Amino acid sequence: MTEKKRELLLDGVRAGLPIMLGYVPIGIAYAVMARQAGLTVGQTCLMSITVYAGASQMMAAGMLADHGAFLAIVLATFVLNLRHIIMSTCVIHRMEPTSLPLRLLAAFGVTDESFALFTTGTGKSRSVFFFLGIHAAIYLSWNLGTLLGALAMDLLPPILTASLGISLYAMFISILMPDLPGNGKLALLVLLTALCNTLLCRVMASSWALIVSTLLCAFVGSFFVELKEESYE
Amino acid sequence: MNNLSVLLLFLGMALVTYVPRMLPFVLIDKMRFSPRAERFLRLIPYTAMAALIFPGVLSVDAARPWIGLLGGAAAAVLGLRKRSAIVCVLAAIAVVFLLQLI
Repeated sequence: MTEKKRELLLDGVRAGLPIMLGYVPIGIAYAVMARQAGLTVGQTCLMSITVYAGASQMMAAGMLADHGAFLAIVLATFVLNLRHIIMSTCVIHRMEPTSLPLRLLAAFGVTDESFALFTTGTGKSRSVFFFLGIHAAIYLSWNLGTLLGALAMDLLPPILTASLGISLYAMFISILMPDLPGNGKLALLVLLTALCNTLLCRVMASSWALIVSTLLCAFVGSFFVELKEESYE
Repeated sequence: MNNLSVLLLFLGMALVTYVPRMLPFVLIDKMRFSPRAERFLRLIPYTAMAALIFPGVLSVDAARPWIGLLGGAAAAVLGLRKRSAIVCVLAAIAVVFLLQLI
């Protein structure tokens, strides 16, 4: 590897540092949920290594605890990760031309955070090596957090692990809330979806209700909700 | 849980996560979305989050749904003030922990 490439990689790692601090605790929260759902330490870590998608993994842990069908878990993961198509499109359009193997490797690292860092003003470089540096930092911290949480699970008192069930919801709420006050129609759609899913959960298994209400309400919303143009291309 | 079926579950999840990430990297300029399709894709995280929160948050303590609701409310208030995810999560855990002592 040339000096220049190594320099770009390290720049990426440095840019990813602030995200690492946030990822370790969330990895711990995921791992505790996964262990509570009945996964072993090895399985909990393997999911973070192979799937590498925070929100989906937390959702899967919740669905496993609920005894959701495996097919429903995979489908729900697919639905939740469809958004990556848009993010990957933005990342690849910003990236300098790159060989296919490097592109296939970099694609694995597209997350909400690496996308935001690479496509907004904060990221100075358009190099694939800069992106891979960001990816390495985030991937490492996600798996480190997972390992810590999976091991610490047995040390935590039961009353505390009982309270951790809220962490999944708190995580989703914290992602959702900041965008709502400035966009009344989006807030309306979120309320509509919550209502729709609550009703559907009475007539079908909750894992299927999640998929139906997510797709149906996003479709309905695409007729009347406007989103900020911001960083999308 | 059966080891093989869990491995298959991870394989399935990994595939459906990697493919949407990878397609634009391979096709590059061949992928374009209509404004409607793009809006639909960008709305999915919001509707998915909403559906993930309700009605599930009510069953944090199945016998006392208000405990989950109050924990969620704590996260919502902090989220509105643009506090980081981890602050919201820790605050919600603290609220639920204290309420369960009652």
